[in-house]
Amino acid sequence: MSVAVEVGRILESRVGLQQLQKVVAVGLEVGDQAGVEFESLEFCLEAVFGSPPFRNAGAEIERVPGNALRVAYLEVDDDRQDD
Amino acid sequence: MTVRTIDLRESVMARNDELAAEVRTRLSRHSVPAFNLVSSPGSGKTVLLERTLENLGDKFSIGVVTGDVQTQNDADRLAQYTDKLVHAVVTGGACHLDARQITTALNEIDLSKTDLLLIENVGNLICPASWDLGETAKVVLFSTTEGEDKPVKYPKVFRESKYAVLNKVDLLPHVNFDVDKAVSYARQTNPDLRLFFTSALTGLWMDEWYSFLTTAVTEAQGK
Repeated sequence: MSVAVEVGRILESRVGLQQLQKVVAVGLEVGDQAGVEFESLEFCLEAVFGSPPFRNAGAEIERVPGNALRVAYLEVDDDRQDD
Repeated sequence: MTVRTIDLRESVMARNDELAAEVRTRLSRHSVPAFNLVSSPGSGKTVLLERTLENLGDKFSIGVVTGDVQTQNDADRLAQYTDKLVHAVVTGGACHLDARQITTALNEIDLSKTDLLLIENVGNLICPASWDLGETAKVVLFSTTEGEDKPVKYPKVFRESKYAVLNKVDLLPHVNFDVDKAVSYARQTNPDLRLFFTSALTGLWMDEWYSFLTTAVTEAQGK
């Protein structure tokens, strides 16, 4: 869960708190030696991205070899209307 | 809908690693070696620390940070052996300590009056392996009441550790534990691992561990 929360913090530092609701997708690279269980991370990201200030951003996790644990990219919909 | 993609390529651990580097600098400035004890629940981290405080507490000023998911029972146990240097981190569900928590803990420990810092991580052999706390080295514990294949089942923590303690060796006559296999698995996972064999509960076979910590302190202080 702390990894998912940290991902949220990284996104906030990149786009700002007000813009988090416009994030529609987040790409992550997770190494098979990263010490992270993929399904658990997916579940935790779903919880983080499904709660305000996020509005159901999707997580796209790519499995890679090694220890990598990176936020690769994010997609922002600038036309998404505020609530 | 206008979707723009922002390329990030940022390590999830980046902020933790920055804080860990700051912790390492603070410890180094005060010549304090720090060891991060990691194991599954019940391997004997707290008892090992109790014996260590009992035996080296008069010689050195030892700071202790304990991590528990709930309760500060471990900190309370250890506080009996030292007057003011135990800091409890209750993680509230998180399965490991992170560098931010150590940074906060160090604000309450006077490093100028500390010779050695011992960190008891949350009982878990998986997540603590991934989080740098700014320690000098990780020490992984396992015990004779567990499987001797722990090093190959949980290789990351054995790879990330410089030292391993096989505890509860007093129970060897009573348990089905193959020490040679355990050592072989540990060396197979990490050939550079230095191994200690202890019985923290009885206080036997502890001298090499005490000697190791004593050397770490004297070397850090340049004596």
